[in-house]
Amino acid sequence: MHEMGLMEDALRMVSEDAEKHGIRSVEKISMIVGDLSNVLPDALCFAFDAFRMSGEIPFLKNDATLEIIRERGLARCSACGTEYEPRQLLATCPDCGLPFGVLLAGETFKIESYEGS
Amino acid sequence: MVKITLEKNVMENNDRAAEFNRRLFGKTRTLVINIMSSPGAGKTTILEKTISALSDEFRIGVIEGDIATERDADRIRKKGVRAVQIATEGECHLDPRMVAKVLPDLDLDSIDILFIENVGNLVCPSEFDLGQNHRIVVLSTPEGNDKIPKYPLMFHVTELALINKIDLLPYVAFDMDKAREDLRGINPDSQIMPISAVSGEGFDNWLTWLRKAYETCTKP
Repeated sequence: MHEMGLMEDALRMVSEDAEKHGIRSVEKISMIVGDLSNVLPDALCFAFDAFRMSGEIPFLKNDATLEIIRERGLARCSACGTEYEPRQLLATCPDCGLPFGVLLAGETFKIESYEGS
Repeated sequence: MVKITLEKNVMENNDRAAEFNRRLFGKTRTLVINIMSSPGAGKTTILEKTISALSDEFRIGVIEGDIATERDADRIRKKGVRAVQIATEGECHLDPRMVAKVLPDLDLDSIDILFIENVGNLVCPSEFDLGQNHRIVVLSTPEGNDKIPKYPLMFHVTELALINKIDLLPYVAFDMDKAREDLRGINPDSQIMPISAVSGEGFDNWLTWLRKAYETCTKP
């Protein structure tokens, strides 16, 4: 359960950026979470709600929302070239069974945008 | 209301801190080993025995990561080496910023080998680069063979798997050949090294591995 710490980092990044833009109150944050990023969306939402309701984050409105945009995993087999959706970070090709596919997508964990005034 | 596009990687601060640590370790020519395992696999006992064996040869330092207490650092200090405890207060792993924060307490210039004993956990610590030279994992025989396929990322990111407590092999169901086979499927570049921190069996292989790692790391 490291989503608490990651959410704290994310909120700090938004806070710093919001200050630069003169935004005092944030109503929505959109994050991209890859299936293979090792971040659990449910735990992330839980962490967000905990911070939102605690009132300890001055710029975050207590009815602010978190949007999670899912990024599906994509890997390419280095032997046969097949592109497939891997179940885990250690991608195994469904066609030839070779592990260690090259990951093309799914590891992203970033803040895409935020809205406020 | 305005919408601001940020496109910021949340792990960016961690990545930057890991690079900072790595540069510092390179400058002071310190070999840094990040040791991970589940709770109770024997990390601290392995360190105690390693310090006893190598303290005439190398100047050793230890960073201990735990959710709470100074107990492990106290055990290490009794061996006469410098130890700093990081109490993560709930976090289930060490991150590179926690490590960077305690480095000033260690006087790296006078440390040849720094061991970072991570929080006992086979999941989260595997996701955080601390800036170390090598990541290794300890698996103890009573835990059984399933740990390797169940926690593939941990065995994928490490380059050595110490199989500890082999003195208990007559009493527990642990198949060393099966462990080798499972590890090959997850990480062909890693290796299994059977040891016992209690009986000392196999421990020389581990010490040889460390000496070689130190030699490689300090080569100009």
